[in-house]
Amino acid sequence: MTDLIQYLFNGLVAGSIFAIAAVGISLVYSVLRLVNFAAGDFLTLGAFITYYFSVTLELNFVLSILISMLAGMGISWFLELVLWRKLRRNKAGTLALFLVATGVALMLRPVIQYLFGTQVRKFNVDILKTYDFFGARIAHTQLIVLIFATASIITIALFMAKARIGKDMRAYANNPSLAAVSGINVDRVVVATWLISGALGSLAGVFQGLVQGQFNNAMGESLLLSFFAAVVLGTIGDAYGALLGGLLLGLFMELSQLGIFFGGVPSNYKPVVAFAALVLVLLFKPEGIFGYRARKV
Amino acid sequence: MSVFLQPGFWVFVLALAGIYGIFSLGLQIQYGVGGVMNFGHVGMMAISGYTIAVLVIKYQWSFWWAAFIGVALAALLGALLGLTTLRLSGDYFAIASIAFAEITRYWILNSDSVTGGTQGTLAIPSESGFSSYTTEPDVILTWIQDRLYPLIGDEASRDLAMVLVVWPFLFLFIWISSRLQQTSWARVLRATREDDDVPRSLGKNVFRFRLQTLIIGSVFGGIAGIFWALQFMLLAPEDFLRIVTFYGWMILILAGATRVKGLIFASIFFGFLYGATRFLDFWPLSLLSSPERAYLRVFLIGLVIVLLMLKRPQGFFGKREEMVLE
Amino acid sequence: MKKLIARTESISKNSSNEHILEVKDISVSFGGVQPVRGVSFGLTENSFTSIIGPNGAGKTSLFNLISGINKVDAGEIIFRGEALQDIHIHKIAQKGLVRTFQGAKVIRRLTVAENLMMAVQGNPGDNLRGFLNPRARSSFESKSREEAMRRLEQVGLTKFADEFAGILSGGQRKLLDLSRALMTKPSLLLLDEPFAGVNPTLVEKLLNVLEELRKDQEMTFLLIEHDLETVMRISDRVIVMAEGKIIADGLPNSIYESEVVIDAYLGSRRRGAK
Repeated sequence: MTDLIQYLFNGLVAGSIFAIAAVGISLVYSVLRLVNFAAGDFLTLGAFITYYFSVTLELNFVLSILISMLAGMGISWFLELVLWRKLRRNKAGTLALFLVATGVALMLRPVIQYLFGTQVRKFNVDILKTYDFFGARIAHTQLIVLIFATASIITIALFMAKARIGKDMRAYANNPSLAAVSGINVDRVVVATWLISGALGSLAGVFQGLVQGQFNNAMGESLLLSFFAAVVLGTIGDAYGALLGGLLLGLFMELSQLGIFFGGVPSNYKPVVAFAALVLVLLFKPEGIFGYRARKV
Repeated sequence: MSVFLQPGFWVFVLALAGIYGIFSLGLQIQYGVGGVMNFGHVGMMAISGYTIAVLVIKYQWSFWWAAFIGVALAALLGALLGLTTLRLSGDYFAIASIAFAEITRYWILNSDSVTGGTQGTLAIPSESGFSSYTTEPDVILTWIQDRLYPLIGDEASRDLAMVLVVWPFLFLFIWISSRLQQTSWARVLRATREDDDVPRSLGKNVFRFRLQTLIIGSVFGGIAGIFWALQFMLLAPEDFLRIVTFYGWMILILAGATRVKGLIFASIFFGFLYGATRFLDFWPLSLLSSPERAYLRVFLIGLVIVLLMLKRPQGFFGKREEMVLE
Repeated sequence: MKKLIARTESISKNSSNEHILEVKDISVSFGGVQPVRGVSFGLTENSFTSIIGPNGAGKTSLFNLISGINKVDAGEIIFRGEALQDIHIHKIAQKGLVRTFQGAKVIRRLTVAENLMMAVQGNPGDNLRGFLNPRARSSFESKSREEAMRRLEQVGLTKFADEFAGILSGGQRKLLDLSRALMTKPSLLLLDEPFAGVNPTLVEKLLNVLEELRKDQEMTFLLIEHDLETVMRISDRVIVMAEGKIIADGLPNSIYESEVVIDAYLGSRRRGAK
């Protein structure tokens, strides 16, 4: 029972981070038909920038997070201006978009390493403080992340449903040509998508860094496929689906360690659980667990 | 500048180019002919390389049989990947293929008792305590070195022997693959890059064609794995990261996805980039430590990919229509 | 609305086992829309049947179902005594049921000749085993090439043989699509508006080609066409569809006179034309 509560809680925390990262990837895919391979490195970048301002420069932690989100937005915007817009004008195919996204990831990684080094970092928070909850050990940082991540998820969902630009994004994703003729400013929608994805990337990176306690420059990259799994789980291109898919995947990955599932998956195989979930969903329900559109060719 | 002038540097570049040329040839058959975007190609190299190491070290198999089984397993992994996920559309398949390769790597990483885990093949448990798997092929490499020694002395390195072994294979495979591309089999595949309904409505089993191209490409990936294992003489899980697949993709798009001859030049360019960021020691490279240089390599490869896709999506040897008309 | 099914003696006489194609009460729906609802008809061997009807009547959807591109929700499609509804598209085509496409799908990055050569059935080079027998492969290739050139001459595209098909105009693509379907030597050919955008003299020539094929090789045709003159000239039976159903079925003349048909479709068109 204690195990169950522990894993359930861990799963919720991991899932809420997956949800935030996955919704950014899903939005970019729905609007730009682009599988963003660089998303993982944006997480790493967000965590390191926050680290730089809050630990090295000793700024307020929340302020540092905001700065890192702004940085994520800025870089995403910059890439839109110098790269993605040109590729769209060139009518670049699926492969070209794939490869450029990968190329960006490959360039970002060394830059992060050059600027911040390869050492393991940790934020200026007490990572050892824990609370007891029906026998389960709940870390202080986990609790913080859970609260703020939940708030962020609700904000994103509300934003997509209520805000003008959120509605425009969904309209454009559903039918780009119709949206373009019905007066939606396409460039504005695309830039907004990148800004949101950049901000969410940084945020998810900070949360992940907090939960891990310590992190290095490979953090985001190693999580990338799990994010894709969450996106596919919740129907690729569906923002709400990605939120739910992320939560479910987090829970699934943690709960898979419980003894009742195949005697418990060893924790170093956790990523494999995500990959396997990804392959299984693609195999049996490629439209995602909430989707109804047939995706098979 | 000194390293530049040493023949040993260029021999290393050529050896690497030959191995990665074969590796990319697999991708070329898959994507250049069949439009299949396999981003998990490194898994094929990993599975064949590790199969050799495990069978030879742990079970005392002959290297040759182990190599054969390694390639067969790579083909099998390709078939498994294809049978399960090739019916998905392009971008879904690409993601699934990465997941396949990563699952393979995680398994290698976490199966210490078989693969040696994080420490690589040196840690494979062996009765004799001897953890080399190259003894048998080394006989041939040494034989070549011995013949060359009277002619060129100390330049008759193991790398040079590798070049003399790998490059004939590369040319042979390029020849086979270019023959393959002139068949009506390849014509149907080229049609499927644009549209599935047309070839299907003309009685072509599109899935079978795609699966075949995936398996053939995987065989080339597996063969590249043999030579990789031979060249570096020990394997570790971090040799088979996702990025290795993108080394192959860089070569492929540099060459132009459907240009067999471009592949040779692109492979050598890659070998140079790899070797240069590893060995060159003149300014400004001398300011960087060796891990920093490894990162410089990653950065440069990312840069080449991005610039190519922006400026010359058809590669240096390809026709523009082939890449743009998707 | 009362249905007027104007079946004539000659058609109803045929019992179903003489039908090369038997469509039994098929329906399909996509996301709330039901483009084909309960359609049934049979095609006699060696016949030429045309389907007419307003846009959105479900004609192309019907073709997609028969050729296997979409699968039926209900009903049966029997071709030469075999049920097709659960068979893969390529197997249907291999059995001799081949179609053309409304938008004339050509493979833009294959040459015009290659588009045609791809369609030849039983090519040993399509198989990897054929790779090991280069002689059989190359003799088959040269035969295919000859046949392709003959077809191209028929439709006046010879000079484009070695150009990418992507450079062809819309009308030329239609011709290529039609020729490609003929390269498979089908026994039943579904033609989806093959003449739209093709110049009248060439249409005339193509109709003659089809007539000859029908005589020489015993081919059966099912045609979707908007131009009534063409339909009346070549068909020996006309099926009228509206809103996913067959509203009339009979000899061309009886269809032309039928009031129901005039109301539903022909009336406006005929008035508009004059």
